[in-house]
Order: sequence, then C-alpha cells, then structure tokens
Amino acid sequence: MNRFPILKIVLTHLTSRKRQTIVSMLGVTFGITVFIFQAGVITGLQDFFIEKTINSTAHIHIYQDKNQKSPPVLLDVYDADKTWISVPNIKSKEELPKLKRGLQIVEILESYPEVTGVSPSLSTQAILKLGVADISGIINGVNVRKENRLFDLEQDMVSGSIIRLETVNNGIILGSGLAESLGAILNDNITVVSPGGVALQMKVVGILDTGLRDLDNNRAYSSIRNTQKLMNVTGSYITDIKIKLENVERSGTLAREFQSRFGYTAEDWKEANEGIFSVFRIQNIVTYLVIISILLVSGFGIFNILSMMIYEKMNDIAILKSIGYTDVDIRNVFLLEALIIGFIGGLIGLLIGFVFSWITSIIPTNIEGFVSSEYLNINFDPAFYLLALVFGLVATGIAGYLPAKKASKIDPINIIRSQ
Amino acid sequence: MKKVIEAKHLNKYFYKPVEFHVLKDIDLSIYSGEFAAIVGPSGSGKSTLLYALSSLDREYEGEVLFNDVELKTLTNQKLAYLRNRSIGFIFQFHYLLADFTALDNVMLPGLKLGELPPEELKEKAMQKLDLLGIADQAMKKVNRLSGGQQQRVSIARALINEPRIIFCDEPTGNLDSKNAMVVFDMLKNLTREYDQTILMVTHDDSFSSKTDRQIQLLDGKIIDRETP
Ligand SMILES: Nc1ncnc2c1ncn2[C@@H]1O[C@H](COP(=O)(O)OP(=O)(O)OP(=O)(O)O)[C@@H](O)[C@H]1O
Ligand SMILES: [Mg+2]
Repeated sequence: MNRFPILKIVLTHLTSRKRQTIVSMLGVTFGITVFIFQAGVITGLQDFFIEKTINSTAHIHIYQDKNQKSPPVLLDVYDADKTWISVPNIKSKEELPKLKRGLQIVEILESYPEVTGVSPSLSTQAILKLGVADISGIINGVNVRKENRLFDLEQDMVSGSIIRLETVNNGIILGSGLAESLGAILNDNITVVSPGGVALQMKVVGILDTGLRDLDNNRAYSSIRNTQKLMNVTGSYITDIKIKLENVERSGTLAREFQSRFGYTAEDWKEANEGIFSVFRIQNIVTYLVIISILLVSGFGIFNILSMMIYEKMNDIAILKSIGYTDVDIRNVFLLEALIIGFIGGLIGLLIGFVFSWITSIIPTNIEGFVSSEYLNINFDPAFYLLALVFGLVATGIAGYLPAKKASKIDPINIIRSQ
Repeated sequence: MKKVIEAKHLNKYFYKPVEFHVLKDIDLSIYSGEFAAIVGPSGSGKSTLLYALSSLDREYEGEVLFNDVELKTLTNQKLAYLRNRSIGFIFQFHYLLADFTALDNVMLPGLKLGELPPEELKEKAMQKLDLLGIADQAMKKVNRLSGGQQQRVSIARALINEPRIIFCDEPTGNLDSKNAMVVFDMLKNLTREYDQTILMVTHDDSFSSKTDRQIQLLDGKIIDRETP
C-alpha cells in the first residue's frame, strides 16, 4: 500500500495541534538532554578516574597478605567437627611482611614477554618534619627508574626531577598535598622519622602531582636503600612488587598465574580498586533511574496528547475506516505520530545535550574530589547518543502504542450514528 | 439481474436503554444497476437498515449477503478491503477529512486500494471532480467549500474506486432545495450514464419518486410495494 496518505494524515494531525506537539516533544527533548549530559559527565569522570588509576596503580601487585593468618595450631590436635576452637588475639603486624627471594622474583618477572615493567619496593609509615610542622605520610622506597617506567612519575612532577633521587644522597620526592601541608618547597631539608625511631635528614628533590588526591596527600618517594635504613632492615628486604603489562586486560589471568607460581598474593588492579567499581555501579544505576523516570514522564505526556488527539479525530478515524482503512493503518497513524514526536524531540535533545556537555568541557572547573583536574572530562561516546535515541524511541513507542491500539478499535458505526 | 445485496430474515434489536425491535424480519434484494430508495417516516428504521446492509453494523440477526458472502463471516481485514473496493458511502453530513484538500479526500480510498500509481490516480480523481462540476475547487481545503460542494466531493470520493454499490443516507438532507436538486440529479445521472448501483435513504417524496424503486419502511417492517 502507498504510505503517502498515512504519513500525510500523521503530519496534518501533528501540525494542526502545534502547541501540544511541541510540548510533548520538549518532554522527550528534556529527557534525552539529561541523559546525554548526565551520562557524559558521570562516565567521563569514571573514565578519567579509571585512566588515572590504571596509570598510578600497578596492573598487578605482588605482596604477602598479612591477613592470611595460618590456622591456629590447635586445629591439628582437635580436628573433630564438633569441636569449637576460639583463639583470641592472633597478631597482625603493622607493615607488610618481607617477600623472600623478592629480588629473584623480580628478575624472573622481567623475563616475561608480556610484562613491560617491574618495580620492587617497600614502604613504611613515617613522620615528616619541617620546622614546627609534622605530618604523617607513607615513604615508598623505590628504584626510581623502574618506578618511572611503570607510573610515568616524570610527567607528574611539578618541580625538581626524579633522577635527583639517585644523584642526591638522602633525596626525597613529596606528593603535592603533603608538601603543601608541610610547607616544604624544592631543596628544603626535612626530617623523616620512622615508627622504629630511626631519623633521617632528607632533601626535597622533587614535588609530584598525580591528580589523585589520596596519593598526593600522603605519598613520598625515596630510594630503596634509604627506606631500608628507616625501617632498619637489610639490603634484600622488599615488600611489594608492582608489575605493568603490555595488555591490561590480561591482568586477571596473569595475576592468578603469578600467585600460584610465587606463592604470594598477586592482586590485579580491578580487585585492588573493587570499592571504586562498586561505587561506579551504584552511580550508573542512579543515572539510569533518573533517566528512566524522566522518560516515563515524557512518555506520559505523549500518552496524553495522543489520547486527546484520538478524541478529537474520532470523525477522521470513522471516515478512514468507512472508506477501507484497516485497524492496522489506523494504529500506525497514531504510533507514527508518537514515534515522530519521539524522534524529533530526541534529536533536539541529543543536540542540546551535546552542546551542554561541550560547553561544560571547555569551562575550567578545577574540581577537587577524589580526583582533581582542571577541566571536567566528559564522555562524548557516540554509542551513548545512539542509546539515548533508542531509549527515547522505545519510551515514546510504548507510550504511543496504547492510545494507537485504542484508536484502531474504534467502530465507525458508533460515530456515524451519533451524528 | 445480479443481486448485489440480499438480506434474509434480517432482525435488529437495540438493548439500550430498553429492548427495542427496530428491524423486523426484513427480506430484501438490491440488484446491479438499480437506483433504489428507502423511504418512510422518521424513526421507522431507515438508517438502521442502511447501516446493516452496508457492512457498517454487523450486530444483526439473520443474514446479509454481499455478492453472496455473509458479512458477519468477514475478518476485519477483509471487511476493510470490501469497503475500500466495493462500497461507497455518502452521508447527510459531509463526511470528509477537514484538513485535506478536495483532491486529497477524493484520492484517499484510491491510495489505500493502490491499484493505480499516484499520478494516474490523481488524474482519475480530477476526472471525478470534473464530472461533478467542481474541478476548479480541487486544491481547496474542504472546510473552505460550501455544503453543496462538500457533498459533491463526497460523491467523487465514493466513486473513485468504482464500487459495486453506493450507500447514501439522506445525501441532500443538509442542503438547500436548489443544491439538493443538483446533488440528486448527479446521483441519478450516475445510475443512468454509468450504470452505478445506488441505495439511498430519503424522506423526501419528490426525490424518491424519481428512483427506480421505493422500499417503504414502517415501524421496522417493509410495506410491500416492491416492483423488482
Ligand atoms: N443506538 C441506538 N440505540 C437505541 N435506539 C436507537 C439507536 N439508534 C436508533 N435507535 C432507534 O431506532 C429507531 C430507528 O432509528 P433510525 O435512525 O434507523 O430511524 P430513521 O428511519 O433513520 O429516522 P430519521 O428519518 O429520523 O433519520 C428509532 O426509534 C431510534 O430511536
Ligand atoms: Mg436516519
């Protein structure tokens, strides 16, 4: 059948009730705009955070889990199921335990073709003092070249240079937040005191700003040797091995392999950031709920306008049916009206959403959250735009279907009789 | 002569507000090429009978055969096709899509039928409008036309698919006497020149007397004056 009359009827209906048509389109437009903007901002932030996290956490982190306590020895004696054993106060130590053969493991890891960088390290709590200020922080003892290959520290340096950690005796690099709270600037001499009471005079050779708040406020880097001195341990003592891979997606698989091969805990970056990912999941659910409720409201608007339209166009429906248009034709007229409202409203929504997002992305915001950055990172993924449009069309389609179905059931005899 | 429509023991009741027996055991045939009129006093059931015969109202008892097919057996889909292909309607109140031009209104049933490409259909619609003397109004929206002109657009629309039969319910009822005359003469002309079958409800004796046959209805019964 020729589609022309249906389309023409649809367009005539829509233009004969311009105001309602525009209002219901605006409903869809609003929903889609919010969708694009909110999803763009939230997933943009998430992507930004994930990227930062990937860059500043190891893909795989090997350490000995101090919480994996060996089962109480009493169990060996009383192994019957019915026996209750209670052993209070199993001790857990403050710092991570030593990785035995740690440096050998590093060598083995470096021979893996999939591994692009390995950095052994150890870390300790310490008090940093400058004048009257004293702040607690975490000192990471690293081989700075290796660490740099993993985390590109050099790029995040705001002053000084990483290489001076090797050339200057007792050098230390401070996180930007830490430096600020200490009031320390480049080349200041500070005192670092370990929990064991060892004190070292150290020189600030660099200040580092990663954009990840938590790190910048607590972290300082020094050489492995100096950290071992602070901790009062021998030269082979390391507690952590951080690994960067060629392909991040392989981190889970390789982590399991390393764990069974070396007998230490090997955690991949997703596991390490599990908390953040569950926050993301909740954020996403909230985003979708907001969008769904907006689309529900605009769907209701469409439902209303179509129901009104059908009431007004009763006569037209009766005429069309009496001259041979089928139930399906009539249903399509009203369904098409809903879809056109949804499509045009949706397209405008995409456009406005895009413009809002774009404006937001070029205005400096200097947000300070658990990440800090100068501009909001906004996701412009076309898949979102497609998804938003599909969402809009589905919502309007459902909203239009019920009145359209009702229109198709109208029997012309009832209208003709009542004239 | 071939029967276009045949009613057998046609009974119709209304149940609301109270049970009411409107059509009482009607037996009636309309033949091809006939110009027949249903006449009778107001309330005698003329419109009700026309609706039942014309497939608009299928809630009757008994049988109505259109080309030997009982209307109640048709699916909605087949019913729509029957109306589109074989039936034309003309009602008292011009029954047109107000936002469309006269030409569009005439073309609508043809577009649904889809037997002619749109260009040829348009030409045919123009011919029908010309036949009814309103070709010059083709591009006007129908709500800008006079009552008589609108009724002529309805006739052109009823003709577009060359139906087996045209049903009219008081087609001149809403027109002044001059226009009523014009429209009636056109209908009559169609039956004479083009052999069009028409069944018309009217209570105007001056018109019904000019038809081939008058079907007298009184209180839902046909008073026998038939001359088949
Ligand atoms: N929907 C209905 N419900 C109940 N009764 C109805 C209904 N439609 C019509 N009637 C009754 O049926 C009878 C016949 O009505 P109908 O409309 O067929 O009369 P008519 O002969 O066409 O009259 P008129 O010349 O005034 O148009 C009338 O008494 C009318 O009141
Ligand atoms: Mg009547």
